[in-house]
Amino acid sequence: MPSSTPEPVPAFTLRARGIRKSFGGTEVLHSVDVDIVGGRVLALLGENGAGKSTLVRVVAGAHAPDRGTLEFPKPDGDVETVTGLDPLAARKRGIRMIFQELSDAADLTVAENISLGHWPARAGIVSWRGMRHRAQQVLSSMGVDLDLGAAVGELRIGERQVVEIARALSDEATCLILDEPTAALSAEEVERLFGFVRRLRDRGVALVYITHRLDEVAAIADDVVVLRDGAVSASGPAREFQRSQLVTAMVGREIGAVARPPASAGEPGPVVLAFRRATSLRGFADLDLTVRAGEIVCLYGKVGSGTAEVADAVFGRRQLSGGTLKIQDLPPARNPRAAIDHGVGYLAADRQGEGALMTRTVAENLAAPSWPRLSRFGLINADQERRPFDRWRSALDIRAAGGPEQLLASLSGGNQQKVLLARWLERGSKLLALVEPTRGVDVGARADIYAALRELAGTGTAILVATSDYEEVVQLADRAVVLARGRVTRELQGDEITTEALTDAAGG
Amino acid sequence: MSEPTNIREGKMVDLSLKKPAASAAHPDAVESGGPPGPGGRRGRSAPELAALLIVLVALIIFFWIKSPFFMTKDNILNVLTAIAVTGIIAVPGTMLLIAGQVDLSVGSGAAFCGVMMATTAQSQAIIVGVLVAVGMGILIGLVNGILVTVFRVNALIATLGMLAVLRGLTEVRANGGTVTLANFSGLGTARPFLSIPVPVLLLIGIVIIAVLVMRYTVFGRSLYATGSNPVAARLVGVRGSKMIVLAFVASGLGVALSGLILDSQLSAASPNAATGLELTVVTAIVLGGASLAGGRGTIQGTVVGLLIIGVLNNGLTLLNVNSFYQQVASGALLIIAVSFDQLRLRLAKA
Repeated sequence: MPSSTPEPVPAFTLRARGIRKSFGGTEVLHSVDVDIVGGRVLALLGENGAGKSTLVRVVAGAHAPDRGTLEFPKPDGDVETVTGLDPLAARKRGIRMIFQELSDAADLTVAENISLGHWPARAGIVSWRGMRHRAQQVLSSMGVDLDLGAAVGELRIGERQVVEIARALSDEATCLILDEPTAALSAEEVERLFGFVRRLRDRGVALVYITHRLDEVAAIADDVVVLRDGAVSASGPAREFQRSQLVTAMVGREIGAVARPPASAGEPGPVVLAFRRATSLRGFADLDLTVRAGEIVCLYGKVGSGTAEVADAVFGRRQLSGGTLKIQDLPPARNPRAAIDHGVGYLAADRQGEGALMTRTVAENLAAPSWPRLSRFGLINADQERRPFDRWRSALDIRAAGGPEQLLASLSGGNQQKVLLARWLERGSKLLALVEPTRGVDVGARADIYAALRELAGTGTAILVATSDYEEVVQLADRAVVLARGRVTRELQGDEITTEALTDAAGG
Repeated sequence: MSEPTNIREGKMVDLSLKKPAASAAHPDAVESGGPPGPGGRRGRSAPELAALLIVLVALIIFFWIKSPFFMTKDNILNVLTAIAVTGIIAVPGTMLLIAGQVDLSVGSGAAFCGVMMATTAQSQAIIVGVLVAVGMGILIGLVNGILVTVFRVNALIATLGMLAVLRGLTEVRANGGTVTLANFSGLGTARPFLSIPVPVLLLIGIVIIAVLVMRYTVFGRSLYATGSNPVAARLVGVRGSKMIVLAFVASGLGVALSGLILDSQLSAASPNAATGLELTVVTAIVLGGASLAGGRGTIQGTVVGLLIIGVLNNGLTLLNVNSFYQQVASGALLIIAVSFDQLRLRLAKA
C-alpha cells in the first residue's frame, strides 16, 4: 500500500442558506441551513422522509431549490452566491454524489467504470491506455487492488462501491456525498470504507455522509446535522452529542437504547421449521436449525454469508441439494406459491425490487396474498379487499394519509415495509421468513415492526429473521444463529446475545 | 413456469445488484413522500382520464365547427364502426400492456384468421369456418403466451416474429389473392339495435366485460400486480405466467373476432387486410394511459384513446386532408402518447 503524503485538493466550502423545496404542493424542506466544509466529515441524519436525500440533491444539482441560496466563499474573501445548481454546474464545482443504489455500468470493466463520463480522450478518441493508467493510479492511491479488466457486475457489492468512489476521485471531487454507503456492506468493508473517508478528509475533501446508523456517526463524523420533517433539529460538532440526543433529534421522542427484550414468558411451542444437515449449492452447507412456534430466531451473518439463502429455502425460492427441511412436518415447498399455502410468509431484502407493487394501492398490496380467500369464483369484492387494510392500519400504525386507495409508492419506506409485513398477518402465516426486515426503515417504524413481531411470536407464530444488522439481532432474538461462509459458527441464547459475541462469530 | 420479464426491463431484477441506473438517479419517492395524486380514487388514473376527455371534446368541437356532416348520426356511427375492429383488439391489448407485455402480431393475425375462415367456408359450412378462425386465434395467443412465459422471449420480439410468420402463412393460404365469401355479411353490417352496427355493439359489450374483469377478478388484479413488479407478484403467490398466457389468448380471440368482422364487412378475405393495425392498437392503448413499463392503465382510458384516433381520422377525411397526412398524424400521435407516458413516469417519481 502506498503511504505517500496525501495530495491536497482545492479548498471547498459551501453554505446552503434557507433552502426550501416542495414536491406536488408538499414542502419537504423548510428553510434549511447547512455548511459543508473541506477536510471535514458531515454526518447527515434523519428518518426516512425527513428530507435528507432532497437536501443533498439540491447540493448536487439534481433539484433546484424553490427558495434559498448556495454560497461559495472564495479564497479572496468574496462570496459567490447562486440560487441553485444544475448537475453540470455542480460537477464543475467538484461536487460528486454516490447514490445508495449502485449507478455503475455492470457490463463494463472496472477501468471503464472509473472513467465513465469523463473518458481520457483526444478529439473524441478514447485512450484505453489512459483509462487503465488512470484507474490504476486512483485505485492504488486508495490502497485497493482490483482486476481492471473485470466486469463490474461480477464484483461484490462492496467492491462496486469502491469503484464508484474511485470514479468520483479520478474526476477531481472536492465534495463527496455518500448516501447510506454502508447499507449493504459487511463489517470488514465498512471498516475499509471508513479508511477511505478518513483519507479523503485528510486530503481536504468535503464529505457528506448520510446514514441511519448512529454508531457510524461516532466512528467517522466531525460534524452532525439532524433533519426532522424537513427542518434542522440539531447541528454541531459530533463530539458534543450523545447517542440518545441524536435519536431524540431524529424522531422527536425518546427511544430506548439497544436493549434486550424481556425473556419470553411462555415455553416455546412445537417445532415448526427444522433443517437437518441441509445444504444448498452456493448458499449454505450442513445446516441444522429449528424454529419453534412462538420463537424469534435470528440468523446473523455478513452479506453473502448465506443467511438470506436459508430464508429463501424456507419460502421455496431455493432448493436443497442435500439434507432435509421440514415445515410443520411437511417437505419444503417447491415454489413460493406452495410455501404460502403451507402458511409461510416472507419479506425479501430488496423491498422495491422484490416486495412492493409500487404502482398499486396500499389495500391491494396488503391483500394480494389473501386473494384466494377474499375472492369467490375468481371475483374479488372491492369492499372486502379494503377491509384487511383497516384491520392492520392501527395495529401496525401504518401511516397512509390517503387511506386504502393511496399508492404504495407514496408511502415512506418504513410504512411500505409495514404494509408488506401486514400481508402475511392477514394471510394468517404460521411461519415468517424475513430477510433484512428493517433495511432502509427509520428508527420509529423499526420499533413498531419489532413490537409487532414480538406480539406475533406471543401468539404462537414462528419467526426466522435473516439479517446483517447485529443491533437488530440484539433487540429481537430469542435465539441467534451466526453464519459465516454458509456454515453455522455459533448459536447464542438469551443474554449471550451481545453485539460483541455476534460480530466475533461472524468475522471468520 | 418461470417468470416472464417486462418488456422494458429486459432482465430480471437480480437482488438489487443490477438496478437500472435510472432508479439510482430518481429523486427517491420515499423521501419526497407527499400525498397521492389529487382526488383520484384509483390512484392517478382519474385526472389523466379527464385530461384525455378534454382533448377528445376539443377535437369534436373543432370538427363540428369545421364540417356540417361531422355531428350527424350517420357519421358518428361511421366513427364508431371504424374503431370497432381496432377496439376489439385494443381491449385485450390493454390487459397485456398492463401486465407488461405487448402483442404486435394482431394485424397479421386478423388477416390470417379472416383468410382461414374464408378458405374453409369455400368447402365447408360457414360455422365451421368461424370455428376454425376462433381456434386459430386461440392457438396464436397460446403460442405467443408460451413463447413469452416459458421460453422467456421478449414479447416485442416474439410477437414481431409472429407478425411476419402469420402474414406469410396468410399469403400462402390465400394464394396471394383475395378470397371471396358469400352469405356472411351479418356480423359486419347488420344493425339489430337502434340501427347500431353489430361490431359496435360487440365492442361495447367487450369493453363492459373487460372493465369489470380488470377491476373485480383475481385475473385482472394479477395482471396489474405482475406488470407492476413480476418478482414481487410471484412472491405473493400471484400466478403471473398463467395470467399472461390467458391475456395473450384473450388477445388472440379479439384478433379472430376482428378477422371475422373484416371478412363480413368486405364479403371477402384479403391477405393484406389489417396491415399496420398493431400501430393503431398500441397508439390507442398508450394514449389511453397504459404504461409501457406495465402496472398502470385502464380499459376506460383505451376507449378514450380509440375515440380520439377515430375522431381525428374521420375529421381529417371530412376536411379532405390527404390520407397520407392521416398516416403522418397517427404516427405522430403514437410518439406524443409515448412521450406523455415517459413524462408521467418522471412526474410520478418527482
